Amino acid sequence: MFVYEKKLQYPIRIARPNAKLAKFIISQYGGPNGELGASMRYLSQRFAMPTNELKGILTDIGTEELSHLEMVGTIIHQLTRNLTPEQIQAQGFDTYFVDHTVSMFPQAASGEPWNAISIGVSGDVIADLTEDMAAEQKARATYDNILRLCDDPDVNNVIRFLREREVVHFQRFGEALNKATEKLDQSNVYFMNPAYPRN
Amino acid sequence: MTDNSPSREPCGHKCGMLPSCAPLATTLVPPQTDADPRYEPPKALARGTLFPGLDLPLGNIVNQDTADVPMAELMAIDFAAHDLSLYLDTHPTDMEAFAVYKDLLRLAEEGNRRYVQRYGPICKKDLVYSDKYNWLNSPWPWDMGGRREA
Repeated sequence: MFVYEKKLQYPIRIARPNAKLAKFIISQYGGPNGELGASMRYLSQRFAMPTNELKGILTDIGTEELSHLEMVGTIIHQLTRNLTPEQIQAQGFDTYFVDHTVSMFPQAASGEPWNAISIGVSGDVIADLTEDMAAEQKARATYDNILRLCDDPDVNNVIRFLREREVVHFQRFGEALNKATEKLDQSNVYFMNPAYPRN
Repeated sequence: MTDNSPSREPCGHKCGMLPSCAPLATTLVPPQTDADPRYEPPKALARGTLFPGLDLPLGNIVNQDTADVPMAELMAIDFAAHDLSLYLDTHPTDMEAFAVYKDLLRLAEEGNRRYVQRYGPICKKDLVYSDKYNWLNSPWPWDMGGRREA
């Protein structure tokens, strides 16, 4: 089960509302490389994992991703607060506003709603962990692009934190995959699929 | 699972270490060897990692500090403990790191109690310190910075 903490993982105080920034940062809420997909990917993959180490790392990183989802939502919420309809329109947020006002809808910057097709849950240890490493790199690359597009220091401070977490998670998934692979028959690691059938 | 580790068998062309007889077609992320050196918790939070070796920013721009909110100190300790716990997930036998982890957990517990007594509950279980049901009144995380000091 999960227990909620009324607490962000990292403090967020954005002084200047600016819906222009919210328009593309929302991709890390519900886009293909975003935090909703990250948490669903890891928290779903863990059920078929054969070792306690793999169940552990997927649970712990998947849970952290939920806190990142909350952080990205907080960024958007603070960027879109107290805006007049004229400001919403001038800042190009009108196409989102018309359906969702200033609430949080999980979508990509392009407007495409979140889709489970953006996550892989194969039930194969090597395929899933390799997917997770790629996912961390894709999220890191998306945060790189946000840093290239965004000029608000209050926002970028938070984005740099989130970006660095992707680097750390990549390392941990790599270590977890190393350890899992060591336990397989190394003469042909793909012949042994420890997730199915269970020995 | 078959234990076919290189130490048990003569080195073949699919087991062993680079360069002569590597296990091919597998990933190779160099494992972190040690939980030391570490940043102090406030710097770890600002940088997004407890470990200088993993601190790989875009360009040369790094966070010097975090927004000043009443919870920042507690966030830093909780974050340091969390990042160390991910390290422990892949290094569960590192007893030195585990001792540091336990110290951080104790600090986090004390910090949590101090915060809760001043600003209200973070978790439902913190209501054990309350004289009324004040779960709804303590600051919500997405609101601007939460409550300032009274």
